[in-house]
Formats: sequence, structure tokens, C-alpha cells
Amino acid sequence: MAKVEIRAVSKAFNKTQAVSNLSLTIGDGEFVALLGPTGAGKTTTLRLIAGLEMPDSGSVRIDERDVTGDAPADRDVAFVFQQYSLYPHLTVFENMAFSLRAPIRRVPEAEIRIKVQEVARLLHIETKLDNKATQLSGGQMQRVAIGRALVRSPSIYLMDEPLSSLDAKLRGEMRLELKRIQTDLGATILYVTHDQTEAMTMASRIGVIESGRLMQIGTPREIYENPINAHVAARLGQPAINLLPAALFAGVPPAAATVGARTEHLTIARGGGDVSATVTRIEHLGDQSYLHLDIGGRPVVTLSDPEASLGAGDTVSLRLNKPLFFDAAGGRVAA
Amino acid sequence: MNDLSTSSQITYQAVPIRPGTIRRIRGLSDQALAWLFITPTIVLLLAINIFPLVWTIYLSFTNYRANRANAPTIWLGADWYQSILTDPDIWAAMQVTAHFVVWTVLIETVLGFGLAFLIDKKFRGHGLWTTIILLPMMLSPAVVGNFWTFLYQPQIGLFNYVVAFFTGREASSFQMLGDVTLSPWAIVIVDAWMWTPYVMLICLAGLRSIPDYIYEAAEVDRASNWRQFWSITLPMALPFIMLAVLFRGIENFKMFDMVNLLTGGGPGSTTEVASITLKRAAFESWRTGYSSAFAIILFVTVFGLANIYVKALNRVKSR
Repeated sequence: MAKVEIRAVSKAFNKTQAVSNLSLTIGDGEFVALLGPTGAGKTTTLRLIAGLEMPDSGSVRIDERDVTGDAPADRDVAFVFQQYSLYPHLTVFENMAFSLRAPIRRVPEAEIRIKVQEVARLLHIETKLDNKATQLSGGQMQRVAIGRALVRSPSIYLMDEPLSSLDAKLRGEMRLELKRIQTDLGATILYVTHDQTEAMTMASRIGVIESGRLMQIGTPREIYENPINAHVAARLGQPAINLLPAALFAGVPPAAATVGARTEHLTIARGGGDVSATVTRIEHLGDQSYLHLDIGGRPVVTLSDPEASLGAGDTVSLRLNKPLFFDAAGGRVAA
Repeated sequence: MNDLSTSSQITYQAVPIRPGTIRRIRGLSDQALAWLFITPTIVLLLAINIFPLVWTIYLSFTNYRANRANAPTIWLGADWYQSILTDPDIWAAMQVTAHFVVWTVLIETVLGFGLAFLIDKKFRGHGLWTTIILLPMMLSPAVVGNFWTFLYQPQIGLFNYVVAFFTGREASSFQMLGDVTLSPWAIVIVDAWMWTPYVMLICLAGLRSIPDYIYEAAEVDRASNWRQFWSITLPMALPFIMLAVLFRGIENFKMFDMVNLLTGGGPGSTTEVASITLKRAAFESWRTGYSSAFAIILFVTVFGLANIYVKALNRVKSR
């Protein structure tokens, strides 16, 4: 495992600027998640580190060595592709053994067998080793793709939304599993996702990326509690942060144009709050309920106790409790 | 629900135009309707494929001669089959055919795959090159046969001139079509020239079907170009290559037109492929029964070999 550093990297595809001036350091043994919407430049960043794309400017360093011009094979990285990228004509075993069989590595066949079986057990695919890669379900294929990376001990594991095609239950299991593996191996992982839960639960640090720029990087807690702007704030939190015009509320800082209110910033009362709202809909999720409100024509979503006897059309009163404030450009304003 | 009722209304609105027809078609079951649609094809197939085949099989057991259609037909049993399978001339023709098929298929596959591999690299102008390479395939075999006789002409032929230019040999010192040892190769060269593009096209389809991300994964897995070729490109394109081999093999086993135009089977019978022997027996000697038996033997051979091959192909595909 090694430290990976990218410095002021930019990459454009024709006129589309995929990544601009992005710098990021991933410490040895660290699990960093890049979080952002589709087309934000997350995958391009991974591909730049892997050497599958060459940057227009900037440099990539792995273990203090400049690898900017190196081919993927010379960088010693492992890549888990979103679309599995399994070799369809090979068996699961052959797929996982493929990289170990590279002549450059000179791993003895017996050792390859042991390693592949060990990783297959870890990923619960040990009974599928003799199957063709194409005879597997989507979830199994994705686990083979992860397994193919895990059999190696590269400088860094680059994972491009590896859990996106799994069903919710398996995704939950794999999340725990991946985190456990990472801790056990002390692996350095750069993990791309648009799923905030994955980022929050697994990563030691989250980098929020938007339009090819790294907006903020920090621990999940920092990103959640102290977002530098409204974009970052909107990326984390379920339900999403409510961004409301400051004019609706009294006592906001003069520079603030928008009030960012997460569920925990809103206290619902029958009366006596800062602002009154109408209940438009309630979604019961079992342990909690999503409460859809209307404040002066603006929709607001928050959580409520399922026991609360509220119904559509009811009027409630909201009180703000240390919300976040943003200026007109979306930048954070101190309370 | 709404959508359904709307669409059924549209159907009913169309009904009044020709109520009789609609009622008749609606009266037919799905199976009857299916038969209605496939009957013309079946009738056509029976008339121009199955009947001639059955008739040929019948004739192959008789002494029938097409130029003496009124002479009494005598049942000979398997006599023709016996005499054909023990005839050294027939075996010579089969050897010529085998030489032609093996070499053309081998050369076309190697060159065709090689060209496809290069074209697949998508260099600048690869589209133009593809078109240029495909040109020979688009010509008629008759045209190809005729102009290659000119190219092979010892005095004025371009082929002899080019060979003379590179080897320093006198251009008129050898005859590609008139020489016993050279003429089997002359027809191989022309067929390879004409049909390599076809193999290239099929191989190209195979190469294009391999997604880029597989190569990307292999690159990250530290597979060299050599290993990528042997463990990804070739195995994944193999079903396509095998298909091209099948098509060319069948086609060349029954090769007639081009060879007939180039050498007519000569000199002597050095380029007399099976189809030419067959045509001579059928339409020069008018031994219709005999040639029918030979045709059946050729058919069974091609059919049998192709079947074995298709089984192998399916095994490769399902791997």
C-alpha cells in the first residue's frame, strides 16, 4: 500500500472539462470516497490515477514516484469497474487469477490457487469458481470484479461505484464487508460513489466533487456538519437539506440569502414556532416518517415521529435550531 | 385501462372498410395463420430445393442420360457410387479441391484477421482503407476470372512483370496458368485476393464486439499486448473467425466459376476441382446418373463436414 497524490490535475474531453485543477492526497491505508452526481468527474479522476486517461496538466504520484506518463501496468493499481469488466470467456477462477498470472509477477500456480480461494471465500463466491463469468448474476459478477482486485496487493484500490448494481440487502452486507477487508488489509482505497450512505459509512474522508472540482474534503462528520457551501450541504443528509429563502425567517445573519435546514435543525410544534407550515403529505417508512410541508409555497421535507398524529392539511409551527446559512452564491455564512 | 380501450376502438374503426376479409382472418386460429404465412416459402423450397435433391438421389441409382431422355432407364443400385469411390481420377479431383480449400481458407483467414486487426486500430483514414480493401469482394467472379487471366499473361501480364521486377527472373519465363506446378497456386492466389476482404469483414465484426473496458481491465491487470492478444482478442474473436472459415470452406469446396474461367481445370487436370469434374461428367459426357451420384457424394461430404464443424463452433461459442 502507498500514498497517492494528485496535483492540480486537469482533463478535458473535447470541449467538456471533466476535471479541473484537482488536487487530492490519499494517505497510506486511508479509505477516501469521492462523492458527487453523475458527470461530476469522479470516474475520470479514478481513470487518471489508473493511467487509463492522461491528464492535460498536473501530475499523479504514487508512493512519492511521479507516474503521470506511465502506462496502467506500470502503476501497480487495482481497478474495480462499474460495469464489472470481467473476461467473459474465462471462468471465475481464471478471471480472479488473471492478474496474478502476469509473467511480470511470477506468482507460483499453487500460491495463486490459495489466494484466489481465500478471496472467493471472503466474497462468498467460492462455489462459483468453475462457472463462466457470464453465468453469474449481477451481484456475483460484481463480487468477482472486486475479488479480482483483492487478490492483488496493489498500491491503491480504485473502485468505481462497485456496489451500484447490487440489491439493497447485498449492498448493505458488502459495505460492511469491504470496510472490514480494508481495515484488515490496511488497504488504500479511493472509492467513487454517488451514494451518500456508502460514503458516510465506509470512508475515513469524503471528497465532494462537482463539475470537475473538488469542493471540500474532510471526515464524513466535518462534511456533514460543516459544509463549505450549499452544494456540499445538499450532497449529504437523508432527507436532503431544505434550502429556503432567508426572507421567510426572522433573525438570520444579514449576508445570508438561503437558510439550510436539515431535519435536526427543525423542531415541529403545534404552535409557538418561528414560522407556520401546512402538512401536504406523510410517507410512513416504518421506524420514521417523512413529513412533507409547505412553507409559503416552498416544499420542505423533514422527519417526524411516526407516532405523531399529523395528517395532510394540518398546520404546524416550525422552529429553527442552529441551521446553516448560505449567501447568494451558495457560500457558507457564519451564524 | 384507458389505453387498452382506446386501442381496441382503433381496431374496430378499421373493420368496416373490408368486413369480409377481417371476419375471415379473425376466424383463423393462430396456427392456421402461421401456416398461411409460411406455405408459400415451403412450396417454393420444395419445388426448387427438395424436389431436385430427391430427383438427383433417384437418378444417381440409374443409367439415365439427359441427352437421351427417351432411352429406357435401368436401375443400377449403388453401382455408380462404387465406381466413383474407387475411381483414381475422382480422388485426384478431390485432392485438387482439398489443396485449393485448405490453402485458400488458411491464407484468407490469416490475412483477413491480420487486416481486420490493423483496421480495428482506427488509424486516420481507416474507413477509406476498409472500402479499398473490400473492393475485390464486390466484383463478379466472372470479371475477376477474366482480368486475372490477363494479369497472369506471361508476355504482357502485370503479375509476371511484378514477379520479374522483384526476383529478376524473366517475366515470360513462367506461366502461372499453364504450368503444372504453378497453376494450383495461381487459383489460390486469385481466390485469396478476392475473398480475403470477406474474412476481414467478419473478423472485424468480431474484434469490434470486444468492449474497450475489457482491454482496460487487462491493462490494469498488467497484461502485455502479447498476452492481451492471446488471452482476450483471439479467444473472443474466435467464434467469428471460425464462422468465416466455415463460410469460405463451404464456398470453396464447391468452387466452379472462377477456376473454370481461369484454367478450365487445366493444364491437364492439375486444377480440376470437384465441381469441374462434375460439370464435365454431367454436361460434356452427359453421364447424368453418374454425375448425380458424384453430386450426392459431394453434398454428403460438405454437409457432414459442416455439421461436425458447426458442433465445434457451438462448443467454442458456449465456452
